[in-house]
Amino acid sequence: MALTHDDVKNLISIIDSAEHLEEIELSWGDFQIHLWRNAGASRSTSANAPAPMPATPSVPSPASDRVAPSPAAPPHAVASPAAGLDLAPGEVAIRAPMLGTFYRAASPGDPPFVEVGQQVDAGDTVCLIEVMKLFNSIRAGVRGTVTRILHDNASLVEFDEPLLVIRTESTGAT
Amino acid sequence: MPLPFKRVLVANRGEIAVRIVRACDALGLESVVAVSQADRDSLAARLATKSVCIGPSPSRESYLKPETLVTAAIGTGCQAVHPGYGFLSERAAFSRMCAENGLVFIGPSPEAIQSMGDKITAVQMAEQANVPRVPGSNKLESLEEAQREAMRIGYPVLFKASAGGGGRGMRLVEREADLVAAMKSAQSEAGAAFGDPTLYLEKYIRHARHIEIQILGDAHGNVVHLGERDCSVQRRYQKLIEESPSPVVDSGLRERLAGYAIALARRVDYQGAGTVEFVYDEDTREAYFLEMNTRIQVEHPVTEMVTGRDLVVEQIRIAAGKPLSFIQDEIALRGHAIECRINAEDPEHNFAPGPGHIRSWSTPVESHVRIDSHCFSGYFVPPYYDSLLAKVIVHGGDRREAIARMERALAQMEVTGVPTTLSFHRAVLAHADFRDGRVGTRWVEERFLDRRH
Repeated sequence: MALTHDDVKNLISIIDSAEHLEEIELSWGDFQIHLWRNAGASRSTSANAPAPMPATPSVPSPASDRVAPSPAAPPHAVASPAAGLDLAPGEVAIRAPMLGTFYRAASPGDPPFVEVGQQVDAGDTVCLIEVMKLFNSIRAGVRGTVTRILHDNASLVEFDEPLLVIRTESTGAT
Repeated sequence: MPLPFKRVLVANRGEIAVRIVRACDALGLESVVAVSQADRDSLAARLATKSVCIGPSPSRESYLKPETLVTAAIGTGCQAVHPGYGFLSERAAFSRMCAENGLVFIGPSPEAIQSMGDKITAVQMAEQANVPRVPGSNKLESLEEAQREAMRIGYPVLFKASAGGGGRGMRLVEREADLVAAMKSAQSEAGAAFGDPTLYLEKYIRHARHIEIQILGDAHGNVVHLGERDCSVQRRYQKLIEESPSPVVDSGLRERLAGYAIALARRVDYQGAGTVEFVYDEDTREAYFLEMNTRIQVEHPVTEMVTGRDLVVEQIRIAAGKPLSFIQDEIALRGHAIECRINAEDPEHNFAPGPGHIRSWSTPVESHVRIDSHCFSGYFVPPYYDSLLAKVIVHGGDRREAIARMERALAQMEVTGVPTTLSFHRAVLAHADFRDGRVGTRWVEERFLDRRH
């Protein structure tokens, strides 16, 4: 079953006009669509999910446009952690499913899980996020090549912050 | 002498997060506001030194995660954590976790939180401190015991289910002739609702007022009170209007209640800001211990208005190990203060919450008026949290002047885009019962709302 542009538009108009509907999640086969309306610009899977999905399957609803602060609002001093991240075509950002400490290796002496330029499979662990001695493995979620690692080892990452960028294989230039 | 910490994590949201950021500013401290995804652009986040996104919008995935908040505090270089009210503010485990990770928890010790958080322990502690509790029985074993206890307590009495709350298994008994039937139906209701038909009896207080004493205790053994607040204007146990002083408390009663509150605070070695709540029987003029809240309260500004003291600043100083900045004799109650809680709820539709976009937000600009709020034109009131939009607080030389100022302030306040309880507050302020100070805890539901429909 194929999803047309009109289908997506219909879904968006449903969530946009509904009074008390916050999100819609549909999945069939390999396909998944997740729409929501709130102030956040993007969203990853729940913090408990072992493998975060890259942001690609989600279609942000136009409803989120309506939350832009009005001119009367105080000056915007808070940058979204996603701000300033430019993704080339075919690139996806792997985002933090939770706030915590970012680790590139399983333990201090070990080699990093990945380096820039390295090929990864969807199931490969690319980093760890630690929340009070609890280590969460973050998987690539897609097959491709690591193009950027956005944080130093042992730095704090916020919820939903981009961690690494991967150029996916299907659309990648190489 | 400088404080032993420089940077405070604000583990809360909404107006109280703004309030804490401002208290940090006043003390020259940096603040980091922990925000959920829905609160990324909140006013507190904009005013703070920094904000940090701790998780998705639902509270259980963000503001209710102790490990995440502690990690965020350490990771952003904070040395102290202010929990605000609600969320994790009265979780002993969170206070303990902060301490174990080298963070100063701005609040009382885990032991004090624990003992006051557990109802039975709290009542036992109150009894040990000679604070009276609502007259009642232990668990009832037989009909004969119920009759004997009811006689001892004095009618009217209330049957309550030992296993539960929420009104189920509760029966009001006005006279002895009704006791048997009431006990049987209460037992079967309690059994059906909680799987345990055990009951106990409590004195029924027909004309009850909610009166609470604000206290502050420091690490050096000083405990002071800052007078009372009367929070009798409630709907379904939610406070809507608070004032200080109470229209029914004279100096004798104030001293008595304050004495109870201080005794209880000393009993648990209380450090920080706390509130001891009482139910006051207007017919017998007796007051009974209800519970102690081990945090800053929503309605703390009315106390600040009549005492001129900053309770949040004081909380932070106490947590830093400083002695209180004043002694009991230096605390004077001056004039009268009233607070109205403006919620995003529709009073015409059973107070249904109405989150959404605030199209326009305009608040009164008057002397003697204080607005504690996180809202502004264009702000999106998220559906995930409580519906408090603003607290309108006024001060006057006496109660009459405070009421007049509140009426003017409410008349000037205008909010569009979301429903608000402004019309409810205007109507209460205009009501003769409120103006005469004749409002008990059941007044809103039994008299005010009932008569309008």
